[in-house]
Amino acid sequence: MSGLTLATISHGFGGRAILDTVSLVIRPGELVALVGPSGCGKSTLAAIAGGILKPDQGRILRHYKRHGMVFQQSRLLPWATARDNIAYPLTLGGMTGTQVIARTEAAAQAVALLSEDLMKMPEQLSGGMRARVAIARALAVEPDFLIFDEPFAALDPALRRRMQDLVLSLAEARGFGGMFITHDLHEAARLSHRIAVMDRQGKGILGSLTPPDTPGHRSEAQIFEFVEAARQDPLLSDLIHVDERAMSVHCACDTLGFRRCC
Amino acid sequence: MTASMPSDPGISRASARISARLAEWVDMAPILASRTALRFGPPMLGLALFLALWQAAHLRYGGFILPSPLQTGAAVLAALSIGAGWAALGATLARVALALALSAMIGGGLGLLAGYATLFRATIAPVATILLGMPATAWVILTMIWFGPSHGAIVFTIAIVTGPILYIGTVDAVLTRDKRLEEMAASFGASWLTRFRTIALRQIMASLGPVFGISLALGFKVAIMAELVTNVAGLGASMARARAHMDIDMALANVALAVAGLVIIEHLVIRPFQSRASGWKRITA
Repeated sequence: MSGLTLATISHGFGGRAILDTVSLVIRPGELVALVGPSGCGKSTLAAIAGGILKPDQGRILRHYKRHGMVFQQSRLLPWATARDNIAYPLTLGGMTGTQVIARTEAAAQAVALLSEDLMKMPEQLSGGMRARVAIARALAVEPDFLIFDEPFAALDPALRRRMQDLVLSLAEARGFGGMFITHDLHEAARLSHRIAVMDRQGKGILGSLTPPDTPGHRSEAQIFEFVEAARQDPLLSDLIHVDERAMSVHCACDTLGFRRCC
Repeated sequence: MTASMPSDPGISRASARISARLAEWVDMAPILASRTALRFGPPMLGLALFLALWQAAHLRYGGFILPSPLQTGAAVLAALSIGAGWAALGATLARVALALALSAMIGGGLGLLAGYATLFRATIAPVATILLGMPATAWVILTMIWFGPSHGAIVFTIAIVTGPILYIGTVDAVLTRDKRLEEMAASFGASWLTRFRTIALRQIMASLGPVFGISLALGFKVAIMAELVTNVAGLGASMARARAHMDIDMALANVALAVAGLVIIEHLVIRPFQSRASGWKRITA
């Protein structure tokens, strides 16, 4: 079973602290939504979890074999067809051509991509199709843990809902755990077993909320009631009320003294 | 009464298919013709306009000052009918090709290094600015003094003039690439080298297409100027001889040959490179 432990993670860019001793445990098979206001460091934490960034401090314990990652704006290679985009991570692992084709076809089928869509370039695909290709690319490596970094933020509500349904059905069919970064409370409540709330200045996880029942089995009424109740929860007051323009920039160095650096 | 039936149903199906295909072609012909006219019409019109202006200037100033396009064409054919004409064209083309290869290796290589190493970029930035600001004529004079009027002097001049352009172009290509794609690859465990080879290099080469085009055109101009000054065999030296003999036909013929050489290289080398390396950019635009 798949799980992830992020222990006392700290990270900064150019002397500016983004994450400060953030710890998060995702239990095997658990899909955790990470919510927080814009600029709180959610995507940085996802990049650290996905192995893109090395944290300045802290430990990452991965209790899974492979992870896949789905990004905001899909991040498809613009010079490659949808098929080659899905196959890209497979070409990194020294697989044979036959295996690559088989895995690519299977991943495309899992997200209901048609064979004619696979020949198209990313620019010829709609936003929803691009999101499907990005999910298929993550599934192609047969991951037991998935990291989603606001993958549907740019999609319209109807399409976003279809993509959420796709994630729910895949999670149920394959039983993977994962981390889903979002700032949409409704999306978090629909998809996750648990919602972890991040501090607005990246100083840890403030706490967790658990929606009733399991993802995919919640009724719309249950989700609506949970979201309405959660809006009143002090844990989410920053997410609901904070204006990122009013946030003070927290700097790890002296901003006024001789050695000011930011 | 029985209706007359074709003796072989296979033949009937084939003839139906052929007539359907013919009908398709008849339908498509006007569309294809209008597409062809739109593609080739404006460039042909521009060329015709240029030739008409040239002819008008010839009529106004006379053949001694400006030969007609026909006279120039005849002079080009005359130059190419003897081995010396081909040798001059070949010498200039070979120098430009060699110098561009050198400057691509050195300028492009240093550009890649500078794109990734901030300190190196900052160190080399003033040098690149100085080299970019140096007039090509100054380099011709300097290389003549350093190396004498030789083949090497011309190659060096072209390389030193085009190198900084390729350097700046490469640095810019490295810095403006979409780094998020490399992050995507890193999330799937791609090493730095794999990310560079499969993602960064692809974007860098796509951005370098226009830079190569500019360097080629500049390389030709510098080659002819250097050949003209050093009087080393090539189109430039042929122009110098034509000037000495006041042979305006031959001077213009050499100009036409230089332009033709540039156009040929651009279409045989640069354009295929551009469409191969940056074809995807046109799709995404």
